[in-house]
Amino acid sequence: MSRGTVVRSTVMGFARALARALISEDIARRRGLLQSLDPRVRLVGLFSLVLAVTLSRRLWVVGVLFVVALAVAVLSNVSLAILAKRVWLVVFVFTSAIAFPAIFLTPGTPVATFAGGAVHITEQGLTTSGLLIARVETAVTFTTLLILCTAWAQVLKALRSFRLPQEAIAMLAMTHRYIFLLTETATQVFESRESRTVGVLPAAEQRRITAATAGVLLSKSIDLSNDVYLAMQSRGFRGEIRTLSEFHMQSWDYVGLLAFLLAGGAAVWMGR
Amino acid sequence: MAPIFDLRDVCFEYERIPALRGLSLQIAAGESVALLGANGSGKSTLLRLLDALCFPSQGTIDFGGQRLSQELFQKDGFALGFRRRVALVFQNPDVQLFNPTVFDEVAFGPLQLQWPKEKVVSQVAATLELMSLAHLRDRPPYRLSGGEKKRVALASVIVLDPEVLLLDEPTSTLDPRSQSQIIDLIQEWKGSSKTIITATHQLEIVEDIASRVAVLEEGKLAASDSPAEILSNHELLLRANLVHAHRHSHGTVTHSHPHLHAHSKHEHEH
Amino acid sequence: MHIPDGYLSPSTCVTLYAGAAVGWYASLKRLKRVLLSRMVPLISVFAAFAFVVMMFNLPLPGGTTGHALGVTIAAIVLGPSGAVLAVSIALAIQALFFGDGGISTLGANCCNMAIVGSLVAYGTYRLIAAGTAISSKRRVAAAAIAGYLALNATALIAAIEFGIQPALFHTANGTPLYAPYPLGIAIPAMMIGHLTFAGLAEAVISAGLVAHLQVADPGLLRATSGIAARGDAASPSEQPATKSLRRLWLTVVFLMLLTPLGILAAGTAWGEWAPSEFARGGSVPQPTGPSHGLAVTAGMQRLSTLWTAPFPSYAPGFVKSPAFGYLLSAMFGVGFLLAASLLLQHYFKRRRSTGHSS
Repeated sequence: MSRGTVVRSTVMGFARALARALISEDIARRRGLLQSLDPRVRLVGLFSLVLAVTLSRRLWVVGVLFVVALAVAVLSNVSLAILAKRVWLVVFVFTSAIAFPAIFLTPGTPVATFAGGAVHITEQGLTTSGLLIARVETAVTFTTLLILCTAWAQVLKALRSFRLPQEAIAMLAMTHRYIFLLTETATQVFESRESRTVGVLPAAEQRRITAATAGVLLSKSIDLSNDVYLAMQSRGFRGEIRTLSEFHMQSWDYVGLLAFLLAGGAAVWMGR
Repeated sequence: MAPIFDLRDVCFEYERIPALRGLSLQIAAGESVALLGANGSGKSTLLRLLDALCFPSQGTIDFGGQRLSQELFQKDGFALGFRRRVALVFQNPDVQLFNPTVFDEVAFGPLQLQWPKEKVVSQVAATLELMSLAHLRDRPPYRLSGGEKKRVALASVIVLDPEVLLLDEPTSTLDPRSQSQIIDLIQEWKGSSKTIITATHQLEIVEDIASRVAVLEEGKLAASDSPAEILSNHELLLRANLVHAHRHSHGTVTHSHPHLHAHSKHEHEH
Repeated sequence: MHIPDGYLSPSTCVTLYAGAAVGWYASLKRLKRVLLSRMVPLISVFAAFAFVVMMFNLPLPGGTTGHALGVTIAAIVLGPSGAVLAVSIALAIQALFFGDGGISTLGANCCNMAIVGSLVAYGTYRLIAAGTAISSKRRVAAAAIAGYLALNATALIAAIEFGIQPALFHTANGTPLYAPYPLGIAIPAMMIGHLTFAGLAEAVISAGLVAHLQVADPGLLRATSGIAARGDAASPSEQPATKSLRRLWLTVVFLMLLTPLGILAAGTAWGEWAPSEFARGGSVPQPTGPSHGLAVTAGMQRLSTLWTAPFPSYAPGFVKSPAFGYLLSAMFGVGFLLAASLLLQHYFKRRRSTGHSS
């Protein structure tokens, strides 16, 4: 174990999160099907498909929805390699680890018996595991498409028109913005501490460093929030956040919305 | 002409640690003043008081003949009028960039002041053009360089076309090119009728940005004179910790806490 | 801990969205009287902080690593309402921007982590730290225990949500449609990881942060300290205004606490799977997943029999649907947690008011 392994992996986690954010932004700027639609349509449309995935009770319907997701990805200029790396593999490993025991544990009709009748694989177990994995894969693919093809600022604008309280939107916006700043700060603190350590760090020491870094980060966060409040006041903030909404639905957007809802509705109907 | 700002015996403390201890200063409309002082001399605090983000514990601040107070700022009419006329650019641009994109950032002030929509859009566009930021319109702040952040922070206040600009260390931690860009902008405004008050510890920019220099030392006014006079007064500069001031980098962290410098050592966390 | 899309049925998701919405509404309403404008940047930055802290890997005994949730320190500094909002916002950004945790399950995740987590953390911290000075060592211990309990309460609620799925949502031939494990497996599988490791991560971070604040910024601990409240966190003036809200909560809690009657009635539901499934459980290949994976271990078997013990299979069988029993027991669990937090709140209000008059 090299020194500060865990600390290192935290810092690498930060870098990965940032890299992901940058990729999303680039994809969001490309030309493509999802990018051409009003962000509100994207949000409602993909959410309804996620709902359709969770509502349909047949494996094949979920499979068809997965193909729909693939088509949307290709039409939106999202490389399937990114999806495979970021979604399919991770989800498969994680979900199948959870779903695997269900093959044996679910009561039902045995299809195979092991260990002299003590352990069965059941039909119901196989179906439920398959359904779970297919569902999670498909739903997460839709969610990821939404994320990849929509810049955060547009997500916020879309949420704004769904009549969420202004404060909630403001907090979402500010939180997102300061995640990056605090991540940067945390990376710096970790790295400076790491550069001062020599040799292998025992776990207790790594725990201490991590907790101490969190402490520094907390203090900086609080100072930051105080100053941000002053900066807001300085520019006329009086407790009510005013924003500009500049969305206009085009006929193309209505077509898109209708298509999403029809696809979702059909999937729910077929998958009853 | 009556001063736009009239400060008399202003005191201010942060959690009982004094930051300003009896400061008096008058600033005329249209004047460009540099507040020169070492870290912890009270410059940032003074700017926040001038922007009415906090109020003196003792003494008074008059703005255009009106005494600034907490009660006065309870009234929307006065508060919005004041915010429209006086603007502060913070030292740490990260504090000021809290919106999702550059456009939203610059539009924040005008929207709070309830300008009509068309005016917001056109003014923001014009300001972005002026600050050569138009190509960054939809960028989120975490994808901006240090110099760009500073320019966006400036754009976000000058979009309101304020009469008084308060600038806190506008050029510190910038690379030379961004530094000279900002100085050029300040010089442009200097020629107009704007009042510009700049806090800085960089002696080399003082002559470019100000026609008068107020030296702050331990929360008090140590001197107020023309840049030439002040810069030649070595004894004063040494006393105010401005030459041979110890060097240390604060990275990107805003440093505005109000401790006093012991001249031989300093002890605060970075 | 973050439940992804697909594990919970849509009706569960909708129910939990509704539950979360009540929590959000109540929190916003409470904060509005305090001065929400000031809280907007504070909560936002705190949410960002919680988000970043969730990414901290913490080495734990046994060579594992875990990560904290940040909900405990949020509850200690911001109070329960602020913490509910801050953690919810962090979760929403994880779901909507980073794709961690589902969109349809966002309500569930907020109920579990933001609402239950905040309330348990806050109640525990206030109870243990009551009456101590800001700099007291007991506050550090209180934060650790609060963190440990909050994370475990969160895991328990999530396990219950998982566990009721197979009984409530299955096809005609008994194939579970969503999370496939019944309560008897879901609860021990979730809890073992959290009782041993994951809970520790939150405990370590929360204790470390409170110790840090005691030195660096004791003022931040004052709002929830119960000592001479400076009128920011919970001023006396808020009481009448939140009365109607409290009545609503009390009704909900009362209804939920009535559910043991239903549990007795549906007792068969509890016994149904337990003996047969556990006979098999031990010989099953054991996945060694992350601490929050549904690992099936031998120890789990023992724990699960412990859990099912109070519900014998001889209970009257006039309520035939096992689903009914699961639902009722889950409601009882939630009702119990809410009642505990309300009682705690009430207790502290009393303490504070008597403290003022003396």
